[in-house]
Amino acid sequence: MTSTYDRLVGLLAKSFGIEADEVAPANTFEDLELDSLALVELTLAAQEEFGITLTDDDLHAKSSLTEAAEVLDAKQVTV
Amino acid sequence: MNADTAVLCGLGTWLPPHAVTNDDLARELDTSDDWIRSRTGIGTRYVAAPSTATSDLAVEAGRRALKSAGFESVDAVVLATTTPDHPCPATAPLVATQLGLGTVAAFDVGAVCTGFLYALAVGAGLIAAGTAGSVLVIGADMYSSILDPADRSTRAIFGDGAGAVVLRSGGADEPGALGTPVLGSDGTGSDLITIRSGGSREPLGTIGAGHPDPYFRMAGKAVFRNAVERMADASLTAARRVGWAADDIDRLVAHQANLRILHAVADRMRLPRHRCPVHLDQVGNTAAASIPLALSHAVTTGRLAPGHRTLLTAFGGGLTWGACAVRWPTITPV
Repeated sequence: MTSTYDRLVGLLAKSFGIEADEVAPANTFEDLELDSLALVELTLAAQEEFGITLTDDDLHAKSSLTEAAEVLDAKQVTV
Repeated sequence: MNADTAVLCGLGTWLPPHAVTNDDLARELDTSDDWIRSRTGIGTRYVAAPSTATSDLAVEAGRRALKSAGFESVDAVVLATTTPDHPCPATAPLVATQLGLGTVAAFDVGAVCTGFLYALAVGAGLIAAGTAGSVLVIGADMYSSILDPADRSTRAIFGDGAGAVVLRSGGADEPGALGTPVLGSDGTGSDLITIRSGGSREPLGTIGAGHPDPYFRMAGKAVFRNAVERMADASLTAARRVGWAADDIDRLVAHQANLRILHAVADRMRLPRHRCPVHLDQVGNTAAASIPLALSHAVTTGRLAPGHRTLLTAFGGGLTWGACAVRWPTITPV
């Protein structure tokens, strides 16, 4: 099964054209130059992808991809 | 035959002549063509001359809509605006008089960027109730009169303009017949899109009121998400009310707030993005005028054709939102 991290990287590619080989688990969204609207777009896309509900603050500019994947995992467990 | 359904039978628009490009703004503010385009999709907006008022724009659009419909009179005028000529009275009676419509019912509707959808629903209601056999519905806004000259984010987004449609009573099966509108609001978000001062809560000129803020303000990030979710969900509800599945929707003509919002709405509805006509690149966000302006542009460029199963949707301050289905009729925008 594809890991949450891999699916998150897939969303970045699909939504923003950021390819998998351009990112590392320690990168923050800020490192990837996602602006505040892009974080909202990613939040909406992640809700669809994972079938979860996210608040505006769940994914923020200083989150690393590893941390973001943990947030998404936690949401899936509690659903 | 029942004749209590509102049928869209005329469409007119008006933009003030003065265009302001992104490069024009960049000469004045800390911004650039790139910055504005990548965040909003907007390239140009139009700004009315200082001697102009919202009623002037509304009259021009209203006259054109009447001409498009071939009507010389209507029974009511409903004007959606956030920038009335004066706080009191409403602007619609003056517009009706200037259009030569005599003593017909005329009033304003305030729902910010959802204003046109709300006014359309009110106009359809007047027809359904038998109060009016025909209604001129106008969306007109002059945001240049309420923007902070130093606020690069709102000045990049908003433009002035007006658009209008004529509704007449008819049958539910006719081309142009409106489906049952979907309307909603959420006052918990009333602080997201505001003009803080100048109302009864904080009258201008009150001694000791602190620093008044007479300008339009918007919390972009929170608005973005609400706009996407509310417009997509209202649109799907409006489609269901006329028996359309999501894939049946030929065109989604959404309030032209931001290109990225339009794309996100289409994605959430699983609708190909090309079914959402784009006009904001040329005129910015014209608030209550954006839907009729986008409709007119889509028709004249061939992107919207008679028979298209079309959804109109908008989101704005309040918070407010709405959607309405219409099978596009054969009309010539003026």
